[in-house]
Amino acid sequence: MPRSLAAAGALAALLAATAVAQDPRLGRLDATARPLVAGVIDSARAAGLPTEPLVQRALEGATKGAPGTLIASAVQRLAADLGRARAVLGAGATPPELEAGAAALRAGAGPAVLAQLRRSRRQTITVPLAVLADLVASGVPVDSAAAAVLALAASARDADLIDLRRAVERDIALGAAPTAATAAAMAGVFGADALHVNAGARDARPGRP
Amino acid sequence: MGTSDGELVRRVLAGDTGAYAALVARYRDRLGRYAVHMLGDRQDAEEALQDAFVRAHRSLARCDDPERFGAWLYGILVNRCRTTGGRAARRARLFVRDDAALSGVPLPSPAERAEWDDTVRWALGRLTPEYREAFLLKHVEDLEYEEMAQLTGAGISALKMRVKRAREQLQIIFREAERV
Amino acid sequence: MFEDRQDPVDRIVSHLRRPVQIDPALDGRVMQEIADGETGRRPGAAVVAWRWLIRPRQLAVSPLGALATAAGLAALVWALPGRGARPAPAEATSRQFQFVVVAPRATRVALVGDFNDWDATRTPMRPSPRGGSVWTAVLPLSPGRYRYAFLVDGSRWLADPAAPHARDDEFGAPSSVVTVGGS
Repeated sequence: MPRSLAAAGALAALLAATAVAQDPRLGRLDATARPLVAGVIDSARAAGLPTEPLVQRALEGATKGAPGTLIASAVQRLAADLGRARAVLGAGATPPELEAGAAALRAGAGPAVLAQLRRSRRQTITVPLAVLADLVASGVPVDSAAAAVLALAASARDADLIDLRRAVERDIALGAAPTAATAAAMAGVFGADALHVNAGARDARPGRP
Repeated sequence: MGTSDGELVRRVLAGDTGAYAALVARYRDRLGRYAVHMLGDRQDAEEALQDAFVRAHRSLARCDDPERFGAWLYGILVNRCRTTGGRAARRARLFVRDDAALSGVPLPSPAERAEWDDTVRWALGRLTPEYREAFLLKHVEDLEYEEMAQLTGAGISALKMRVKRAREQLQIIFREAERV
Repeated sequence: MFEDRQDPVDRIVSHLRRPVQIDPALDGRVMQEIADGETGRRPGAAVVAWRWLIRPRQLAVSPLGALATAAGLAALVWALPGRGARPAPAEATSRQFQFVVVAPRATRVALVGDFNDWDATRTPMRPSPRGGSVWTAVLPLSPGRYRYAFLVDGSRWLADPAAPHARDDEFGAPSSVVTVGGS
């Protein structure tokens, strides 16, 4: 075995052993994934990023029986997203905010939207970010989803935002176009005034038997 | 997301009971809105809704057009609300059946009217069940008269009259309230 | 309250068109009633059914019982030494969430997700005492976004059909997402 390969193997083994010592949960990963994931987690920790989401993503992969390389790349991708979220939201962002921000970025929201959310809402923006990610995942175009969440973010309670997301998902399931469903749900959350503002959405009201 | 009603119905009929859960989740809030407004009581509404879902599952094979499962389910719920409404009326005197008695019904106290929500429920409760049903199906659920006729078994001209009378009565009720 | 000149009937219509949220637990009751009706009548007909949770709600248990439940689960999920700081102190207020799945032919069902280290042994779901087809688990969750899935009989992964699906399912088995608010 060439010396360089042997050295790399020894380094990987050392990394893996260190990782398990630091967090016994990583012992559930296979020999391929363990050193790779450990390296990502170490880097994230050094950069001041939350590591718990990375551990959870690795454990999800392990429990689902995914190949080690797939687990490592998923964790690496999440770490990169967390880093992007932190760059936008600032060092003061909480771990749940960063995790939700990473999901929103992964869904396709631009950094500017995240920054605007941060400026527009005094309280935590975990839920607005999560709802934004979920709306986009449901098929709502990023711009529409961002506009809806930004419109509500300044004053709405978390529960209102979650209701908005539920209403949109339900209406999409009932056959509405995602953009129309978002407009109709906004009307629902805001009440009669918004209904007039979004009157055009009424024609597309879903679920009509 | 994307699975059609027809596909879910076919899966249920093939033995996949779990697919029915997706239909229940899909229509729960939508139909719940009608039941809540029609019956004026959330508990009654949930009972009616649950019963409608169970009845629909039991007779799913008779759903002629699985793609229109929602419309078919709607009809079951409308019927179910009628029987519940009858029971609720007898139990709580919630509905005023006699048009002539409308003016004799005392207005709620200012405290009871503090919330718009309560006011709307109170106003709806003063309509007869037939008027309330027609009003909700037309203006809130946005149905065409032909669809309403299919659901209720009533004629189109009768339904148009009920909707018109419901609107007139609601305006009278609110004018009364403004004078208080 | 009648100060504005809009036609009162139009105002009523606008008000009545707002979405109404029905208790999601209704789904479990429907599926339970259906399962009860099928017992004996169509033995072995259904494959697996599932269903779920939605929003936080107060549980009908004594305060002492609730406290004990929360404390016990919280200890399992969060109070492990040397872990990452989840949840953040500013968002630490947890709320009880009920997860429900209908699985008539399952012998065991586990709730697995970000909140329990994706450990299938950590949160076994409890079968309904009546028929065993409705499985439930209650967890306290702090504000945040969590991925989760149901694991049936140790081998079959089920996402929640009524909850948002996790978009980045990199591992070949679906997951769902629950978002917990704090306000």
